[in-house]
Amino acid sequence: MAPGDSLLTAEHLAKHYGDVVALNDVSFSIFEGITGILGENGAGKSTAIKIFLGLIPATSGSATVLGQSVSESVGVRARLGYMPEHDCLPGHVSAAEFLTHMAEVSGLPPSTARTRAADTLRHTGLFEERYRAIGGYSTGMKQRVKLGQALVHDPAMVFLDEPTAGLDPIGREEMLALVRKTYREFGISVLLSSHLMADVERTCDRIIVLQGGRLVQSGTVRHFTKETETVFIEVDDNRERLVAALERRGIAVAADGSGLTIEGPDESVYDQVRDALVEAQAPLRRMAPRRRTLTELFQGDRHGAAT
Amino acid sequence: MTAGTVFDIGYQRYTGPREGRGRGRLAVFKDGLRTALGLGRGGRAKVLPWFFIVVLAAIALIMALIAGAAERFAGPGAAEQLNLPSHADYYAIASMIVFVFAAVVAPELLCRDRREGVINLYLVRPLTGSDYIVARWGAFLTVMLAATWLPQIILLIGLAMGDASPVGYLRDHWLDVPRFLAAGLAMAAYITSLAMLTASFTTRRAYASVFLVGLFVISTPFTLGLASEIGGAAGRWLSMFNLTNIPVHVNDLIFGQVSEITEDAPARELPGAVRLGWYFAWTIIPGGVLWFRYRRLTP
Repeated sequence: MAPGDSLLTAEHLAKHYGDVVALNDVSFSIFEGITGILGENGAGKSTAIKIFLGLIPATSGSATVLGQSVSESVGVRARLGYMPEHDCLPGHVSAAEFLTHMAEVSGLPPSTARTRAADTLRHTGLFEERYRAIGGYSTGMKQRVKLGQALVHDPAMVFLDEPTAGLDPIGREEMLALVRKTYREFGISVLLSSHLMADVERTCDRIIVLQGGRLVQSGTVRHFTKETETVFIEVDDNRERLVAALERRGIAVAADGSGLTIEGPDESVYDQVRDALVEAQAPLRRMAPRRRTLTELFQGDRHGAAT
Repeated sequence: MTAGTVFDIGYQRYTGPREGRGRGRLAVFKDGLRTALGLGRGGRAKVLPWFFIVVLAAIALIMALIAGAAERFAGPGAAEQLNLPSHADYYAIASMIVFVFAAVVAPELLCRDRREGVINLYLVRPLTGSDYIVARWGAFLTVMLAATWLPQIILLIGLAMGDASPVGYLRDHWLDVPRFLAAGLAMAAYITSLAMLTASFTTRRAYASVFLVGLFVISTPFTLGLASEIGGAAGRWLSMFNLTNIPVHVNDLIFGQVSEITEDAPARELPGAVRLGWYFAWTIIPGGVLWFRYRRLTP
């Protein structure tokens, strides 16, 4: 595969389970980096991942992974990793033994599998605990083993299904840091499936949003948040006079708690705000650019769609 | 004293060979052997499989010691004159222990993977459900072959050593070797298919074990009593449902003599081809159903 080629491509992908439509004419491409696939339960995230892994056939359309059609060969799975959401670890074996075995199942020779298992456990922060039975691990450690087994054979791309499920805030932070490290340090592209927008926003470069089996949005996270860039202004006095001065300059202003927000500004707005502040004789306490979070963005979309 | 420095060379990409499905199948097969025999596990995992293997070997050893004692105290050829049990009788004598061994160990290879969800990780690797189940079936067949052949080899060595002329004994009885290998293979394949199929229906090892033991233990007196009561052709066919006897009939056909436990079975009167066909049906159909169930498995 040449650099810049898409790692995964879905073209008019559809999956029906009887009368239930899990995916409906979905097309998108996924490139190198960390991509989030967002959607509520039943949105079609898991179905899409299963089709990409070649575990279930699509009803219509095509899916290619690393340049190969998933329905043609299971061999492509040697270059893919998968971390499931649900429990999938044997309690009676050590993490080192388990990862070695999984590396061998992925096609690595035994001696290499052992070395890679130890290396992967070191990178996922379990090196000291590697000879303990997995059954005695905490939830956070088990999530790390799950991530480790997905990485041990050095895949080109890894699918992570709700990697922060069941973790406390500290564990969640650590897991998201590991996910970022997976691409930025290890060079392994990630497809992160989640229903938690905050996780996706803080981790991913691009997002795909599915809703009811349909593709709702796709693009870079920065693109979504930049579109809704705002400037937050807080003044000590003359707030109403400032609003009037801004509106006279054609700037849309919204009240935001004790301050004001200006949506979607370009660079010239700062000069106009300065002039409006002088005109309104409003002492400036704070002025800062701010981006809306994905959560706010899609909540807004949903409310918009509902009305 | 020398000072060492540890360097973190960071994450290393793997550029070596990827051996594909073949390596994957072999890994699942090896893991199956280790699981079945408790190798690399704690002491508790080893107790049951090795207990049964030791008991099976001990039966063969006792048979060899009795034959050897008869040769020593009653003179050469006494073991054969007294019609002491030998290779042809071993599987009939040990069959129930072999069945219980399979009932206890086979579920370990399948139930745990499904119960703990590890099967989901196998199926997302370059391995299909068919690859997985064939590798697991092969692993348990290998264990069963070891459990059935090892005692016969001990018995052969014991009988040869107990004879006044060990080389002469081996020359006269060499045909027993391919016979017990074939009969052992027949028994191992039959038990493997039936036990693995049962284990594929539950995630609880205990349920599968109890069901299998019940199947083998109950089918014997039930079919024996009812078959004798009914008599005739119906009785003979009913007697064929004695699951313990099915591979022993094949053993009888291979050795050309009737075992102690099939002696009273009305099924013995059915033609050899029928009994052989019945055996293959009970081995191939459960194996096929097992394969079919796993072939379509998705996480």
